[in-house]
Amino acid sequence: MVDPTATESGTLLPASGGDGHLLVETVPPAPSSLRAFWSAFSENRGAVLGLMVVAFIAFLALFAPFVAPHSPIEQFRQFVQQPPVWAGGTWQFPFGTDAVGRDILSRLIYGARISLGIGMSVMIVSVALGIVLGLASAFLRGAVEVVVMRVMDLVVAIPSLVLAILVVAVLGPSLVNTIVAVTVVYLPRYVRLVRAAAIAELSKEYVVAARVAGVGKLRLMFVTVLPNCLAPLIVQAALGISDAILEAAALGFLGLGAQPPIPEWGAMLADSREFIRAAPWIVTLPGLAILVTVVAINLMGDGLRDALDPKLRRS
Amino acid sequence: MFRFFIRRVALTLPTFVALMFVTFVAVRLVPGDPIEARTGERGIAPERLAMLRHELGLDRPVWQQFLDYANGIVHGDFGVSIVTKTPVLHEFATLFPATLELTLCGLIFAVVLGIPAGVIAAVKRGSFFDHSVMTVALTGYSMPIFWWGLLLIMFMSEYLGLTPVSGRMDLINYYFEPVTGFMLIDSLLSDQEGAFGSAVAHLILPSIVLGTIPLAVIARMTRSSMLEVLGEDYVRTARAKGLSPLRVVGLHALRNALIPVVTVIGLQTGTLLAGAVLTETIFAWPGVGKWLIESIARRDYPALQGGIMLISGIVILVNLIVDLTYVAINPRIRHG
Repeated sequence: MVDPTATESGTLLPASGGDGHLLVETVPPAPSSLRAFWSAFSENRGAVLGLMVVAFIAFLALFAPFVAPHSPIEQFRQFVQQPPVWAGGTWQFPFGTDAVGRDILSRLIYGARISLGIGMSVMIVSVALGIVLGLASAFLRGAVEVVVMRVMDLVVAIPSLVLAILVVAVLGPSLVNTIVAVTVVYLPRYVRLVRAAAIAELSKEYVVAARVAGVGKLRLMFVTVLPNCLAPLIVQAALGISDAILEAAALGFLGLGAQPPIPEWGAMLADSREFIRAAPWIVTLPGLAILVTVVAINLMGDGLRDALDPKLRRS
Repeated sequence: MFRFFIRRVALTLPTFVALMFVTFVAVRLVPGDPIEARTGERGIAPERLAMLRHELGLDRPVWQQFLDYANGIVHGDFGVSIVTKTPVLHEFATLFPATLELTLCGLIFAVVLGIPAGVIAAVKRGSFFDHSVMTVALTGYSMPIFWWGLLLIMFMSEYLGLTPVSGRMDLINYYFEPVTGFMLIDSLLSDQEGAFGSAVAHLILPSIVLGTIPLAVIARMTRSSMLEVLGEDYVRTARAKGLSPLRVVGLHALRNALIPVVTVIGLQTGTLLAGAVLTETIFAWPGVGKWLIESIARRDYPALQGGIMLISGIVILVNLIVDLTYVAINPRIRHG
C-alpha cells in the first residue's frame, strides 16, 4: 500500500475503495506491493543485516525473563565486579558483574526492553500526534497552521538535549517523563513531514475528485490523503526510533532519565566512570549495546528509505 | 533582497517571545518553591517568608512577573543565581568562552576530516575507501557520545597515558588570570612554557568526542553533494577541456558542492551545543553545558531558566545568520 508503484497499477483500489472488483479483472496481476517492497529492501545487504540484528534484540527484549540468566536487580554481594568470561571470569556471570554484584548480561537483556520500549513509545506517540497536527495544519490552514507550525519552530530552535533537560526538570526524572521529553523533542519532524506531504497531495487530481464526490473532511484526511503520505513517514519513524534511544540514553547518563535500579543502558553508564581502571567492562558493554542497536536500526531505516522512497535515495 | 532580510529577521522575533514564555512557564511549573530551596527544610518565619517573596516579586500577579521577566531580558537581566548570588548573565559570560572554544575545536575537527573524506569517497565511489568512510560515518552518526568519551578516556588517558583526563589546564603547574577566556590564547599570552601544550592536550579528546557526530553528518553530506555535482554538465565540460582531475574536482566541483555543506555545518550549532552538555559533563569541562546540568541538581532555577534562554537564543541567532548568508551567496533560493 505504501509502494508508490502500487498506486499506479491499481492494486491499491480494492483496499481503499472496496468496489475494486471490476478493476481487478482488467488489470494484470501486479506483484503484491509487499513482495515488491521486500525485493527492493533485500537488495540492500546492510539493511537486511540491520533487520536481523534488530529482530534479535527485539527477541531478547520480549523474552528477557526466559533468556536472562539472572534477575537484573539481584545483587550478588559476594561476586562484586566479577570480570567477564573472556577476561578470566566464570560462566555464572558471562559478561561479569557491576559494582554491587548485579549480572551485567541480564541487565543488558532487560535494558533492551527499556531502550526499545522507549524508542517504540516515542515513535508511536509522535507519529500519531504528528499525523493529527500535520494533517490539521495542511487541511485547516489559517490560524491552526500558524500556531502549530510556530510552536514546532520554537521546539526546533532549542537544542534537543537542552529541551529534553528542561522538560525533565519540570516533570522530574523518570522513565515515563523521559518518553514525554523525547517525544516533545522529536515531534516537529513528524508534524512538518506530514504537513508538507499532505499539502503536496492536496493539489492532486484524485483529491479534487474525492472532494467533488462529496467525501467528508475527516475521511478525506485520513482515508484518501494519509495513505499516500505514508512512505516518508515510515522511513522517518524507523530512523526516529534510533534517535529516541540515543536521546533517552543521554538523559539516563546525565541522571535525568530512568532511575536506579532500572537497567537502562545510559543509566548503567552514569557512574561507571570510577571503574574505568578497575572494571572496564562495566564501562564498555552498555555503550556497545546502545551503539549496536542504534547502528542496526539506522541501517534498517536507510534500507527502508531506499525501498519505499526512491526520491530520497542517496545517489 | 533587503525585504527578505527584514522578513526573515522579523520571523525570529515571535520565536524569541515564545522562548521567553516557555522558559518562564516551565520554571514556574517546577515542583518545589524557590524560597524553600534557599532556606532549606528547617522552614522560616511567615513574616520572613513574605518578605522574601516580596523581594523576589513572587507576590505579584503572574502576568506582571512575566512582563518583568521579559523586560529584564530585553535589558540584559537574566536574573540572579540562587546558589552563587551572581547575575546569571555574568556566570554565563564567564563560562561561555570555554564552551565556545570546545565547540569551535570540535567543529574544526569535523570539517577538516569530514570534507576531504567526503570528497575522496565521492571521487572514488564504490572503492574500499568509500565503503570505509560510509561505515565510519554510520557508526559516528549512531554514536552515544558520552560512551565514546569514556572509551577514549579509558584508552588514551588511562591505558596509554597520552592525554589528561579532565579539565582545561594543568592547574598544578600553571596559573594565569583569564584574559580572553580562551585557554589556547590565554596560555600563549601568559608566556609560561608548556602552558599552551597543556591547553592543547586538554582539548584533544573533548574536541574529538564533540566533533564525532558533526563529522559523520558532514562527510555524508559532502559525499552526496559532491556526487551530484560530479554528474553535472559543466564538470563534464571541464573534464573534456582537458583540465587535470585535481583541478576539476578541487576547483570546479568542490565550490558548488560545498554550498549545501556549509548550510549543514551552520545548522550543526544546535547539535554541538547539545553535545557540549554531555562532553563537558564527561571531561569536567567548565563550560555552560556542565553548569546547566549542575544548576538542575542544585535546583538553581534562575540559572536554568537564563541558561536555556541564552543557549537557545544563540542557536536561533546562528541559524538566522546561516540562513541569511546562504541566501546572500545563493540568489536562486531568495524568493522561497
